Amino acid sequence: MVSTDQKTDVKEKEADCPVVVAVTSHAVFESGAEDPDGLYVGGIAFPLLQALQKVNERLLKENPAESLLFDVILITTESQQQQESSRITESIRHHGLKVSRFCFSNEEDFMENLLNNNVHLFLTTNRNEALQGSQKGVLSVLLDEHTASCPTEQLRVLFCGDAVVQSEAGPALASKQAAQSFSAQIGKMRGRFGPFDSPISIALVTSRGGRESCGDALRTLRSLGVNADEAYCLAGVPRGPIKRLLRPHFLLSECFSSN
Amino acid sequence: HILKRVDQKCITTNNKKKKTMIFLYDMHARKTVFQFSGHRNIETPKPENAVTVAVSSRVLFRTEREQKVFEQQGVEEYLRYQIEHENEPFAPGPAFPFVKALEAVNARLRELYPQSEELFDIVLVTYNHAHVGIRLINTINHHNLFIERFCMTGGSSPIGYLKAWQTNLYLSADANKVREALTEGIAAATMFMPEKMTEVSESQLRVAFDGDAVLFSDESERIFKAHGLDKFFEHEKENEDRLLDHGPLKGFLEALGKLQKKFYAKGQRLDCPIRTYLVTARSAASSGIRALKTLRAWGLEIDEALFLAGAPKGPMLEKIRPHIYFDDQMFHIEGAAEMGTIAAHVPYGIAQKHNSKHNTSAGK
Repeated sequence: MVSTDQKTDVKEKEADCPVVVAVTSHAVFESGAEDPDGLYVGGIAFPLLQALQKVNERLLKENPAESLLFDVILITTESQQQQESSRITESIRHHGLKVSRFCFSNEEDFMENLLNNNVHLFLTTNRNEALQGSQKGVLSVLLDEHTASCPTEQLRVLFCGDAVVQSEAGPALASKQAAQSFSAQIGKMRGRFGPFDSPISIALVTSRGGRESCGDALRTLRSLGVNADEAYCLAGVPRGPIKRLLRPHFLLSECFSSN
Repeated sequence: HILKRVDQKCITTNNKKKKTMIFLYDMHARKTVFQFSGHRNIETPKPENAVTVAVSSRVLFRTEREQKVFEQQGVEEYLRYQIEHENEPFAPGPAFPFVKALEAVNARLRELYPQSEELFDIVLVTYNHAHVGIRLINTINHHNLFIERFCMTGGSSPIGYLKAWQTNLYLSADANKVREALTEGIAAATMFMPEKMTEVSESQLRVAFDGDAVLFSDESERIFKAHGLDKFFEHEKENEDRLLDHGPLKGFLEALGKLQKKFYAKGQRLDCPIRTYLVTARSAASSGIRALKTLRAWGLEIDEALFLAGAPKGPMLEKIRPHIYFDDQMFHIEGAAEMGTIAAHVPYGIAQKHNSKHNTSAGK
């Protein structure tokens, strides 16, 4: 059973080219936690949503008629959450998050919803859901506890230049295309702002290769219309400390897979 | 995700490129995946084993023209200019000979100890935005430098990365960044482009250090500045057997000493490609004794100690021709640069309050 709810008090976004981001309720809210009013408490993806909102605010400030904005959908992926629809919508409103649509789906049909809503980026904390998304060709990102401590004032995207390729060519190809088009959209958004004081920051990390592989990755990004702000060529040094310093909201690696 | 390396194959792609396919077993997903490594094997040492030297793009290369564009026309024009000139390599800057000399030492170390990671590891650090980084990569290629690790921060401070990579020395054109590094316990110095750069050896790395406030703390300089020369001598004599406290560059000298010992162990003391110098205004017979005793107590050998007793350092440095000379006083830095010596300023200690061309440190 699927039901969708159209929020009418959110600013009408033109159909032109918004970037549709679907995030699961598991990721947005801490499971099993409630505040004194019985509403959900902010979870792992909370800062990420705030950062997406910040980007939209700044985009509209630059150009009130901007149509390249993030369009955030909240999606439930299990029947239990499906029943909690009013608590979810109340919690969203209470926390001041701007969600344009709610998809109250369950385990069986959430994928259908993702596809029907033309989702460009699917964010979840559930590994199986991420795998399912990738297999259907939707760019799916698995969020972890690090996302919870990311900044709320700036969206930080990290591209990983050394990619691991899945041996099945099918889903990988679709995912790569999805990743490339999403990256191009991010690149375009980034381009709306100057070199400093941007609400989006794009970083590139190459872990194993030397300067040539980093140079190639920079050129690949450029060909997608993405101008990286930061680049770190690690040449074998462990990635952990760098990730801790960069604090990205999420990582993308599919753009560089060589098939 | 646990990935276990299981196999490796060399293949030639359609456009004749040689690539290495590395097969990894994903223990969680229970399947084999593969990864392309299209470029030559990168053999960089682990930070804990290597002597990491981080250099900024502005001291490794000459970027005056670009700096001017930035200052006069703003950042957008600067970025556009850089991209437009992307395929034009930069000319060598003040740190270039030093870096080349480090690589020469590495070549000798690799000959003697092929498996060892105790080498110099040169890291490029820049505040530039990454998309102009391609010009830097092109320049590194052009000059055939062995720099595989770099950090382009797009404006934010690289200090966190310097610490994570256990940087032993950081060279920059910006005194503020150098000061920040020193506060975090990283040996650092500011470099300037001299009018002329005298030729330096291509086979032997020569590093020269001032004593007070560079290798040693600034305690004695404080006495001198506050109470004058006589009091300074008195204090040094009284404290001859008390070790001086360490200064910001002591660790780097120590790192050089460790590498030197590797050459001595193979019978190459006379032919050692690393040579260190102490160039101090202290006097050999008096105040210099405390300096030597301190170095000995630290277990540090310095190849040549030059006690100038207040004489100008320029001519002596001109004879030594170091690849880099560290001093805490701008007066000496400028004097050295006038004679073509590549000097680096360590903005540490009491001298920073008095830094001007007209300050002298006679007869220590």
